[in-house]
Amino acid sequence: MHGRRAGAAAVVALALGLSMAACSASGPPSIVGKQTLRIGVKEDQPGLGLRLPDGRFAGFDVDVARYVAAKLDVRPDHITFVPVTSATRETALGNGSVDLVFATYSITPEQATKVTFGGPYYVAHQDTMVRAGDTAIRSVHDLKGKRLCAVAGSNSWKRVTQALNIAAVLAPAASYSACVAMLRDRRTDAVSTDDLILAGFAAGAGPAVRIVNEPFSYERYGIGIRKGDLSGCEAVNRAVSQMYLDGTAAALLQKWFGRTRLQLDTRVPQFEGCE
Amino acid sequence: MRATTTPPPSREPHRWRNTARFRRLGLQTTPGRIRALAAVVVLAIAGFYFVANIAVGNARDGLRVIGHDAGPQVLATGDLYFALSDMDSQVASILLTGREHSPGTRQQALHRYNQDRATANRAAIQAAELSADDPTDQATVRSILDGLGRYERLASQAMVLDAQANHPAGPPPRNVIAVYRQATDLMTQELLPPAYNLTLEGGATVREAYAAKRSAVLSGRLWVALAGLAVIAALAGLQTFVTARFRRRLNLALAVATLGLLLLTVSAVRLLSDQAAHLQAAKTSGFDSILTMARARAISNSLHADQSRFLLDPGRADTYSLAYLDKSQAVLYAASRNLGEYYTALGTAIKAYRANPRAVRFLGFYGDEARAHPGPAVTTLLSRFQQFQTDDQRIRQLTGAGHDRQAAMLVTGHSAGSPGYSFDQYDQAVVSLIVRHRGTFDQTIRAGDRELSRSVVGNWSVVLPLAAVGAAVLVAVGIRARLVEYR
Repeated sequence: MHGRRAGAAAVVALALGLSMAACSASGPPSIVGKQTLRIGVKEDQPGLGLRLPDGRFAGFDVDVARYVAAKLDVRPDHITFVPVTSATRETALGNGSVDLVFATYSITPEQATKVTFGGPYYVAHQDTMVRAGDTAIRSVHDLKGKRLCAVAGSNSWKRVTQALNIAAVLAPAASYSACVAMLRDRRTDAVSTDDLILAGFAAGAGPAVRIVNEPFSYERYGIGIRKGDLSGCEAVNRAVSQMYLDGTAAALLQKWFGRTRLQLDTRVPQFEGCE
Repeated sequence: MRATTTPPPSREPHRWRNTARFRRLGLQTTPGRIRALAAVVVLAIAGFYFVANIAVGNARDGLRVIGHDAGPQVLATGDLYFALSDMDSQVASILLTGREHSPGTRQQALHRYNQDRATANRAAIQAAELSADDPTDQATVRSILDGLGRYERLASQAMVLDAQANHPAGPPPRNVIAVYRQATDLMTQELLPPAYNLTLEGGATVREAYAAKRSAVLSGRLWVALAGLAVIAALAGLQTFVTARFRRRLNLALAVATLGLLLLTVSAVRLLSDQAAHLQAAKTSGFDSILTMARARAISNSLHADQSRFLLDPGRADTYSLAYLDKSQAVLYAASRNLGEYYTALGTAIKAYRANPRAVRFLGFYGDEARAHPGPAVTTLLSRFQQFQTDDQRIRQLTGAGHDRQAAMLVTGHSAGSPGYSFDQYDQAVVSLIVRHRGTFDQTIRAGDRELSRSVVGNWSVVLPLAAVGAAVLVAVGIRARLVEYR
């Protein structure tokens, strides 16, 4: 019965081959297939990412994060929101303390060398906020010689003093909420950053502040993903496309910024690309 | 010839041979055992056919997605993006020239505008055909074409107003800029993003199909080898049993079946190895670079348009120069905080690359390209990109010094020394790299197709079932003569 024994051996070998094939599917860890997600958001930016007194997070970024997580098949109660700042978001992604970042994270060529960016899920524009009575500042170029709030890790002040070479005097701060407080206390003359961020603060600050309304850049809000997670990035992009197609993006923009004077763009942005 | 049903005397009868089940299957008789062994062989052949069919199917699917669906889709949508973006570039150029066009330049720009529109239409139709099985993509292409109609109306309106204004070279009057802003915003926010996203989607589809299909082909190769071995082992078993039991030298039909299956297994394993290699070559040596260069071409055209828009619309000059810097860095990343630093860093990076093409010290699309395909074509590409940036620097110096008119004339010119000329030169270098990668890509896909349909033994979708049935028939023929002896 050699034939049968050989046949049995072949069947065993086949089974081994099957298990080998099953083990060979590997690659860098991806957010795709994860049951739980830790998502980095801002905690002090009204309208975008704000921690409420009861500890929950609310804002446009938070809602977009929930939508994308749902498209990644993560249950709402399996999402943990983790507060990040402009200075900590890159490290948080790198050391794995968060899986994704939705924190008004502008895609810049420099950041793109360290982080993989899904999206952008929205394109904002940098503008400038000043005290209501300050009529001398009518465009970003009028910031020459004025004090400009500089948030650690943020790209916004660099756009002014480095990219546009406008000689403003930097007033360091840890966050944009601190900047707004400094603006009202006259410790800085201007806060220059994305119009969405400014709109959220302007709504809270009332008539004390004024937005110059001279936007001067495209700020593409990316979804921070660990460098090299291509399938995660592609899955996130599909979710963002879907969000614009099914009307959720328009509804969320309306929900959070409908009462501001901002021109809201409800068309899917041009993606950065995953590689 | 002496037929016998008694088992060889040297062996003790196993206990299980006397069980009821054993007897029910008729395995206590020689014809029963022959039939059982033959059944094992036929099952093994069926298994081989099954496994080989799946593996070859995976190879075919991989080639189809990469070579015939998503791959060409990336090229078509890349062309679409370029044509659309170039239309807006030409409009900006016409508006900037004003009345100071040297004979024919305005006509030339208009001609190119019309050519671009025709290219865009063609590429859109092609993209729609390629996404025939994806209604969402088709709707996207349709909405781009709808938007293009609106864009053309705004663009002609701007050009008519501009001609009426009869202004010198440089920024046109406000009413012209207002209409152009509507046109360019429509183009950059509504038409170009979905076109670019379709290109990226094609890239994602190829990446996924490649990862899945190549590993499926490779594990399929292992399965085919094992299944082939199993068939051969089963055939050898049957052969041994029959020759021993009937004291014959060789059962010819079984021997032919064994030899045939051995050949089939070897060529199937070889085919699958080759297919995996073709998929890999098409993806890594062809497709990846096509995608990189198609994206670089799209972003380059859009930064070229930002250069004209920067001069055309002083109210948005900051926006357009910041966008220009961001896009330049996406194409070739050299650490720098502003455009002035970028020109210098770019020069240093390219100089270092020329000195030692093995050490690529820049990132971005051209960092990838330079690492993947070091050689004279990439060196030419980099030099021309640098020339375009040098001309850009001159333009910005002129505007900085208040010479808007001179800057505008330079930007819109197409003679040597103007950014228009250096951009065309640069774009030709990009296109020639795309054409080269396309050649590699098409070649590997064709080789893969050829092997699947016209290999040494013929077409695999015909060969496989024929060989399986043929082997089963040979087995039947081989044992029939022996079974007849028991009638």
